[in-house]
Amino acid sequence: MTELALTGFLGLSAGLFGIGIFGILTRRNFILLLISIEIAMNAAILNFVYFAAFPSGTSGLSGQSIAVVLIGFAATEVAVGLAIVLALNRLKGTINVARANDLKL
Amino acid sequence: MILGVLIALGEMWSPGSYTNVQFTWLHLAPAPGPFPNGLSLVMGTLVDPLSSLMLVVVTVVGFLVMLYSIGYMHHDHGLPRYYAELSLFLASMTGLVLANNLLEFFLFWELVGVCSYFLIGFYYEKPSAASAAKEAFLVTRVGDVLFLAGIFILFSTYSLAGPVGSGGWAANGFVFVQGSTAVPFLATAMGGHTTLLTVAGLLILGGAAGKSAQFPLHVWLPDAMEGPTTVSALIHAATMVAAGVYLLAITSVFIGFTPADQLAIVAIGGFTTFFAATMAVVHPDIKRVIAYSTISQLGYMVLAIGAGFAMVGLYHLFTHAFFKALLFLAAGSVIHAVGTQDLFKMGGLKKHMRVTAAAFAIGGLALAGIPPFAGFWSKDDVLSAVYSQLGSHPLYWPFFLLAFAAVFLTAYYIFRAWFLAFSGETTRDPTLPAAHEGPWVMQVPLVILSGFAVVAGLFVFLPGFQSLLLGGAGVAGIPPTYGTTDLLLSSVSVGLGLGGVGLAWSMWGNGRVYALAETSPVQAVRRLLLNRYYFKVGYDWIGLKGVYTISRAADFFDRFVIDGTIRGLQRMFAFASNRARALQSGFVSDYAAYVVAGLLGLFVLLLIVGPYLLGRLGGG
Repeated sequence: MTELALTGFLGLSAGLFGIGIFGILTRRNFILLLISIEIAMNAAILNFVYFAAFPSGTSGLSGQSIAVVLIGFAATEVAVGLAIVLALNRLKGTINVARANDLKL
Repeated sequence: MILGVLIALGEMWSPGSYTNVQFTWLHLAPAPGPFPNGLSLVMGTLVDPLSSLMLVVVTVVGFLVMLYSIGYMHHDHGLPRYYAELSLFLASMTGLVLANNLLEFFLFWELVGVCSYFLIGFYYEKPSAASAAKEAFLVTRVGDVLFLAGIFILFSTYSLAGPVGSGGWAANGFVFVQGSTAVPFLATAMGGHTTLLTVAGLLILGGAAGKSAQFPLHVWLPDAMEGPTTVSALIHAATMVAAGVYLLAITSVFIGFTPADQLAIVAIGGFTTFFAATMAVVHPDIKRVIAYSTISQLGYMVLAIGAGFAMVGLYHLFTHAFFKALLFLAAGSVIHAVGTQDLFKMGGLKKHMRVTAAAFAIGGLALAGIPPFAGFWSKDDVLSAVYSQLGSHPLYWPFFLLAFAAVFLTAYYIFRAWFLAFSGETTRDPTLPAAHEGPWVMQVPLVILSGFAVVAGLFVFLPGFQSLLLGGAGVAGIPPTYGTTDLLLSSVSVGLGLGGVGLAWSMWGNGRVYALAETSPVQAVRRLLLNRYYFKVGYDWIGLKGVYTISRAADFFDRFVIDGTIRGLQRMFAFASNRARALQSGFVSDYAAYVVAGLLGLFVLLLIVGPYLLGRLGGG
């Protein structure tokens, strides 16, 4: 893998991360918000995979294994997030995060 | 009570024996500083002639008062509280008497003080009782602080060079040791510089003056009469107020006073004797008359100890405890019967209360020093003891004369009270209830105490009692020798006593009331005496004007400087937080935006300072 290829891959994950952040900042729908977070997170996981393969074969399996662990984290995070979505829906009858502002004074 | 008497009897059989049981409460290893030999604080009991004498007084009078209280207090709903406090007091007083070092003594000293506070304020619903309790507590506290300062000086001084053992007094826990008087030893060790020792002695005198109501800390005792009469008899006549005298006695026996201290003690004692007696002369309240007489008699004890005769002082304490408790219990019996303390409302009670009248008369005769009653023997011992020391300092003279003059006043005021209460045909205030004797539990203690008031002075002729008195240090005139000087002194004092009784009879006997003409110049003296020489007014003024002004200034500082600073800070933060609160919109996206903005800010910062940091660290 060449440096040029790495730059391309890093550009890809930067783009994915940008999309994710954009989604987080603009979406009001809780489920879309969760998906945006997932996109941003996968951008970060992709980075681990790139750097594990570059320069080729020298850094062992640590990058890949961290990526696998992070996928697990992402799954648990989504589970918690979806639980909050359900609770919010039951409480408010909506999943619009702008309505979840009861803690404000 | 039985145990106390047994201990005293044992003391009589083996004269001068010292039994000391102790354990170490706290030990500090030797270290450079004020205690180079280390410091031990011990708790223990010491039975010696002084404490066994006091033990008899405390337990016997305590028992009789408790018995009497069954009758006197039966109508009171605070009875459990009363007995609890009285028991606590007796326990503390026994501990005080048996303490074997000054620190332990001080602990029990404070305990009896607080019991006195509780019991004076027993009728706490009455504002006057509550304020009298506070007054007693605060005034004795002045003395306690002085006393504690005296203990500190003694501890730190004696730690350097102690008469006890090789490690010094401090390392051995400051325990009182037989036949060891530290002051002469220390005076030599310190090259004759006794100033510090004198100061320590004066501070201890201050403590004793507070507890024993000596001038100028005498104001609290008359007001302490707000408590139940039984309490006055036990605490404010026989035992607790004697603790100050006892303190002076053990200090003079085990630690010693410098000559300057002795002069101060003689001065305070002699002056108080006369000073308090004058105030008793005009007072209309039966209990307060006896209270002033207590102050005055305590003055005699202090006088004897100051002159160097600790055991003579304690001997007077011993007899005084019995006849003064008797007087108080008899007065209590009167108050119980007629429900007033005002002498001018009473009268003619002799017919209805024969036991009480006889008891009060016996107590009065003992107080007035008429032979063969108890007060005569001990008071004459005090006077002849002081007389024998007149040569040692010219300033002893005026106080000796004052003490002598007080004999006359004593006889006068106590019989003025007796004639006003008991003689005559009928009560002056017809609204008073018909007088009657109390139940047997009240009469029995009166009879027993009357017996003591007659014979307690004669104890001095018992060989056992003599050796008990002789077992302590500072003895003279025991047994009384009755040489020409002694006989002369005794006859003068008895003559003065009889004169006082006679004057009282001519003015108040047979229900007469001596009315002083309103225009008489003596009225000014009378007002002065009734107002207690304006001492209380003066102390109130100091309290109100002096302390209150300082408190006001402190309050101002607290309120405006300290609180002002705090409030200013608080306002600042409140303002800042209100502004900061606006950031908390409550929308998740906003918070996410802050996070992203912060992250971006961090990146920018790293881009700017990162190369510089790397350069500094010498890395890539």
